[in-house]
Amino acid sequence: MKNYVYSLFFLVFIVLIVAFSKSYHNPIYFKVPKSWPKPQYDFKSNPLTHEGFELGRNLFYDPILSRDSTISCSSCHLQQTGFTHVDHELSHGILGRIGNRNSLALQNLAWSKSLMWDGGVNHLDVQALAPITSSFEMDETMQNVVDKLQKSEKYPVLFEKAFGTTKITGQLTLKAISQFLLLLVSSNSKYDKVMRKEAYFTKGEQNGYELFKTNCASCHTEPLFGSEQFENNGIGFDSNLRDSGRMKITNRKEDYLRFKVPSLRNSQVTFPYMHDGRFKTLTQVVKHYNTLGSDKNRSEKLAQPMQLTDDERVDLVLFLITLTDKDFLTNKNFNYPIN
Amino acid sequence: MNKKKRFNLVLLVLFCFKGFTQNKSDSLYLNFKIKFDQEQVELQKKYISKNSDTLSFKTFKCYLSAIEIYFSDNSAFRKKNSYHLLDIENQSTSHIPIMKTTFKTISKVVFNIGIDSIASTSGAMSGDLDPINGMYWAWQSGYINMKIEGKSSSCKTRNNEFQFHIGGYLKPNYAMRKIEIPVQNTAVQNNQINIAVDLNQLFSEIDLKKINSIMIPGNKAMEIATRSTKMFYLE
Repeated sequence: MKNYVYSLFFLVFIVLIVAFSKSYHNPIYFKVPKSWPKPQYDFKSNPLTHEGFELGRNLFYDPILSRDSTISCSSCHLQQTGFTHVDHELSHGILGRIGNRNSLALQNLAWSKSLMWDGGVNHLDVQALAPITSSFEMDETMQNVVDKLQKSEKYPVLFEKAFGTTKITGQLTLKAISQFLLLLVSSNSKYDKVMRKEAYFTKGEQNGYELFKTNCASCHTEPLFGSEQFENNGIGFDSNLRDSGRMKITNRKEDYLRFKVPSLRNSQVTFPYMHDGRFKTLTQVVKHYNTLGSDKNRSEKLAQPMQLTDDERVDLVLFLITLTDKDFLTNKNFNYPIN
Repeated sequence: MNKKKRFNLVLLVLFCFKGFTQNKSDSLYLNFKIKFDQEQVELQKKYISKNSDTLSFKTFKCYLSAIEIYFSDNSAFRKKNSYHLLDIENQSTSHIPIMKTTFKTISKVVFNIGIDSIASTSGAMSGDLDPINGMYWAWQSGYINMKIEGKSSSCKTRNNEFQFHIGGYLKPNYAMRKIEIPVQNTAVQNNQINIAVDLNQLFSEIDLKKINSIMIPGNKAMEIATRSTKMFYLE
């Protein structure tokens, strides 16, 4: 009889462990919008939960990540402007320091194989290391970040909820940030609604869409409107920034001045444009591709300028504006966390 | 199943759990000794290389991975997920438990200096691979396989400093290096295999006047990576 009691205790013990280990993990199912490609991110290595997302959201909005606690991710990535730093050509850091590239919009990152303008970051989980450790941005070490989080009142509780441990590590911190970033999916623009046959393009937008498909879509491929390619779009070398682009990562001459093809989603609100923020308006961007510079090393796909008429250029911009996703830009779940 | 059997099953399960915790005395260890010639390296102490450079060290960190033990019967033990960060500032890192003690005759030890490309592209990792260890490049993803920093009067640099951050996982600049160290059975004492990491072997091959700062993957890093294999030998 005694033996029986022991084994019963043991069983109850196991059941309790299983029950408690699951009780505070509310999984999130990652929805891939219809007819979109398969995400690049391996969700098995970082299963999404509400608690993990909320932890990541707290970290994203917390200046504790920077050396002097003045700058958070959201300082350069504001939701209302497609999670980028509107009106700033180059990203800013602590003590008024200025970086050497225009901050990228954060959206649909689950589909990104590489990150940054030069594709130097090979996985979403390790992306946050770059701004955290850059002396021009947060100027902090990952060790210090973890120490500060561990000492705080708030974070051990949030890590416990998200990962079942109060022991904070660099890995878990980064995975939580990824969880927040992965759920920043923008797929409800007018363009998306038209594709789902829930709305119609105006005549101008439709004309713009046709022009887009002939002139732009080979690089800015639907439905993500960006690509994993690196191209030289002929804007030339900035002698102050001396940024050689992709070549810095690959050491290959042919990658000189090549930069990532960014997504055009929400581009209406993510100005200024290009890696150095040189164009302030979409009209300027379209004008550039309409005439192209003298740089002979630009991408083969840009062999010929678009040579659109004034009316056609207007229509193309009208189409680009249909990529603005107001639901995404105002979704309260992505905003500053309320605890 | 009768009650007694059930109880035995519980004991068996508990025993299995216990099996994961290896005792110190019944493990075979690799013991890495960071040296300069015959001397154990002390940080900030001055050494003179075969090149007649006077130098001192501030940092020595190095990843060892995929450790394998080969036996005279050609069988092998491969340690799963073995990634170790050897750090001169943390003595315990140089003493690595590999497997349960064996009566088989060990013929060689094989391991990599550095981190393979799969682990370099799998996102945020834990333990010795956690980016918290300062051995991960932020602006260009990938592990720093080996970090050696210090000073030498031969370096005409700021504060006479040299720094070698050697890494890279993308071909043609894949800087991981495989090492095979033949082991005579007499070398295994007290379940330990002592392996020297002799910095003089590396620094006698570097012209510090010309080469004193490598912080990115590339040709130079590849050369240092190849030369660094000479540091490792059986004691």
